[in-house]
Amino acid sequence: MKQQQPMPEDTREVCTTPQVQPPSKRSPLYLLTGVILGLILGLVYTWVINPVVYENSHPASLGDIDKDVYRSTIAQVYAVTGHLDRAALRLALLEDPDPVRVLNLQAQRSLAAGRDVEARALALLSSALQNSPAFQEPPPEIPPTLPTATNAPLLVPTHTLPIPTMNP
Amino acid sequence: MNRRVWRFVFFTLAILAGFAAGLGYGWMINPVQYASSSPDTLRSDYQVDFVLMTAELYQAEGDLPMALARLGFLGDTPPLTLMDAAIDFAQNRQYAKVDLQLMRNLAADILLMQDGTQ
Repeated sequence: MKQQQPMPEDTREVCTTPQVQPPSKRSPLYLLTGVILGLILGLVYTWVINPVVYENSHPASLGDIDKDVYRSTIAQVYAVTGHLDRAALRLALLEDPDPVRVLNLQAQRSLAAGRDVEARALALLSSALQNSPAFQEPPPEIPPTLPTATNAPLLVPTHTLPIPTMNP
Repeated sequence: MNRRVWRFVFFTLAILAGFAAGLGYGWMINPVQYASSSPDTLRSDYQVDFVLMTAELYQAEGDLPMALARLGFLGDTPPLTLMDAAIDFAQNRQYAKVDLQLMRNLAADILLMQDGTQ
């Protein structure tokens, strides 16, 4: 029988049992990262790249410059046609808090910019609205006086003399 | 399948889910709010009324370039297309004949000018 010779030190076989890796217990944090990344992409897309475009807007939602153009056109049409009712209805679409004042201010701006015709039309409409009883502010409400059965003194003119004043 | 592939698939799905949520939030729940809108987004009847105002001014001034400039307020739509749409709308809504005629006059003059330039 052949004798087993001792192996050199550096060639010795080392028996190792294969290490069984435990199933990885990595947290699903990467999923959260994905969701957040997608959310950011979605918001960038909807707010910057392809934002909502509004249609069927109202004249009151126009920008200041566009409102000025709209108002000026209304005034010029009024200057030509003299239809105050129609001009007032159109002007109401802009929902200005004080249309007469806004018209006056715009007239001043137009005049300063050298647009005399436009300024005149705006001033004309402003003046017409101011003088029209239909578009003046309603008087403050007076509480209604109910008739009562009491012996309330009647407001009968008396013969008292007027109070003398210092002014002639 | 390899674990790495599965992770990639789930990561992609997570991104897609987040993207969909972002679309829903950005378009429906909290869309961009504009401080002001542009005239080309005005509702049809307001646009038609502006066209009518332009026609009324054109009737008085007879200034076609100015009328075209005024129509330009409503956006890049060709003036004749705008006029045709306005006249159709006005007919359907039974505008006054006088107003309809004003718009037709302006449309006819725009057409004449376009024919002349071609």
